[in-house]
Amino acid sequence: MFNKKALVILMILVLATTALAGCGSSADITVGSKNFTENILLGEMISILIEENTDLTVERKLNLGGTLVNFEALRNGDLDLYVDYTGTGLMAILDMDVINDPDLVYDIVQEEYMEQFGLKWMAPMGFNNTYAIAVREDTAKQYSLETLSDLALVSDELVLGSHQEFYNRPDGYPGLQETYGMNFKDTKAMEIGLKYQAIGTKDIDVTDAFATDGRLISYNLVVLEDDKQFFPPYHAAPVVRMDTLEEYPELEGILNSLGNMISDEEMQQMNYLVEEEGMDEAKVARDFLVQKGLIGQ
Amino acid sequence: MERVFLLTVEHLQLSLMGVLIALLVAIPLGIFIYRYKGFAGVVLSLTDVIQTIPSLAMLALLMLVFGLGNTTVIAALVLYSLLPIVRNTYTGLNNVSPSLIEAGRGMGMTRFQRLRYVELPLALPVIMAGIRVATVTAIGIATIGVLIGGGGLGVLIWRGIQNTDTQMILMGSIPAALLAILADFLLGKIEKRLIPKGMN
Repeated sequence: MFNKKALVILMILVLATTALAGCGSSADITVGSKNFTENILLGEMISILIEENTDLTVERKLNLGGTLVNFEALRNGDLDLYVDYTGTGLMAILDMDVINDPDLVYDIVQEEYMEQFGLKWMAPMGFNNTYAIAVREDTAKQYSLETLSDLALVSDELVLGSHQEFYNRPDGYPGLQETYGMNFKDTKAMEIGLKYQAIGTKDIDVTDAFATDGRLISYNLVVLEDDKQFFPPYHAAPVVRMDTLEEYPELEGILNSLGNMISDEEMQQMNYLVEEEGMDEAKVARDFLVQKGLIGQ
Repeated sequence: MERVFLLTVEHLQLSLMGVLIALLVAIPLGIFIYRYKGFAGVVLSLTDVIQTIPSLAMLALLMLVFGLGNTTVIAALVLYSLLPIVRNTYTGLNNVSPSLIEAGRGMGMTRFQRLRYVELPLALPVIMAGIRVATVTAIGIATIGVLIGGGGLGVLIWRGIQNTDTQMILMGSIPAALLAILADFLLGKIEKRLIPKGMN
């Protein structure tokens, strides 16, 4: 009636090849990352750093969907490390309230992660990917703006544009109004991607951004200093399983060699190269490591 | 180009694997609820509920059990393939004309023989339609497997989206679309062969 044998053979073939494909991963270290450029870049950077300074083999599981996926995979041992942000650890994972002192946040996540999950935060890499308030360069010059306190003084002459969420979050516009006494002439809500265009075409004067966003460069925006430390700190650092560190003790020194090495501007620049110039993450990461003398040419 | 080819093969493997495992569960389940109609409501609502879970949420949940990688992707595809196959098996069997079943009984066929030689062949076009829907859906859903460490064409699509690299997005999505069309076409052919002569 029909070719039953062929169907059965096909089935077995598919099963067999998939089973074979499944049992790979003989690498010593598995590095994860979240699914946005900066985190992929950092995952790549750490992988290269380990490969160049040890004999260990590294498997990259970059581009995993969000904090939860990375964190759970790290906890159950599918990952050995990934880069997270102190503020995310504090608020998203530990479910604690906002704290503004960066050192205190780091100490808390360090202690709690160790105690609750057996995970260790390495030295922070330096930059702080928090919310930032940005204006066009000409606006900054015109009103001689450097800090958010400066901005508050002239806010009634300017228009704020941001995505809807920023107007609703306590660590967004409501908090800004309260802390700095800002009151803009007008506020507009829009899609994240459109903010940059809108500020470029002068439809808005002020917007919120992530401090290390590469588009701050392409749109020539100036980030104003958060002089009252209103935004919670989001310092990036590798988070590693304790048992991985015990198995490969040399990792700790290698990962900490990135400590305080990347400034906000440098991270911005690297994101810019990938997002706007279309360069490969691995190339950008490697160039940076060479430039800092962390790996050989 | 070689990379695109390898990812396409992997994508096809994942999708087929998901649907094949689903077949092994869903067709017996469809037959079961056809025989014991009391269970039909529960089973069908359950598969309905599974279908409404957003795919990223499903992957994140399954990851807690199966870990990172292709196993989780396949598990998700199995779950999503259940509804179309179970429902179509059930509906297809129910639509078989009672007079034909009666005729089988009159010929002295056992219950199993009636199922094997009368009911299943007659329900086959509907069952195959379910399998085709499941396969095409699986090929689509497999593209987000990359978010929990799986492979397949999603690797290119997501990288392309982050870097606003249209070419890379297309390198992932065009083969995925072609796979879906091709799979549907081939299943159509198989369906033609499977349907006994004399039907249609």
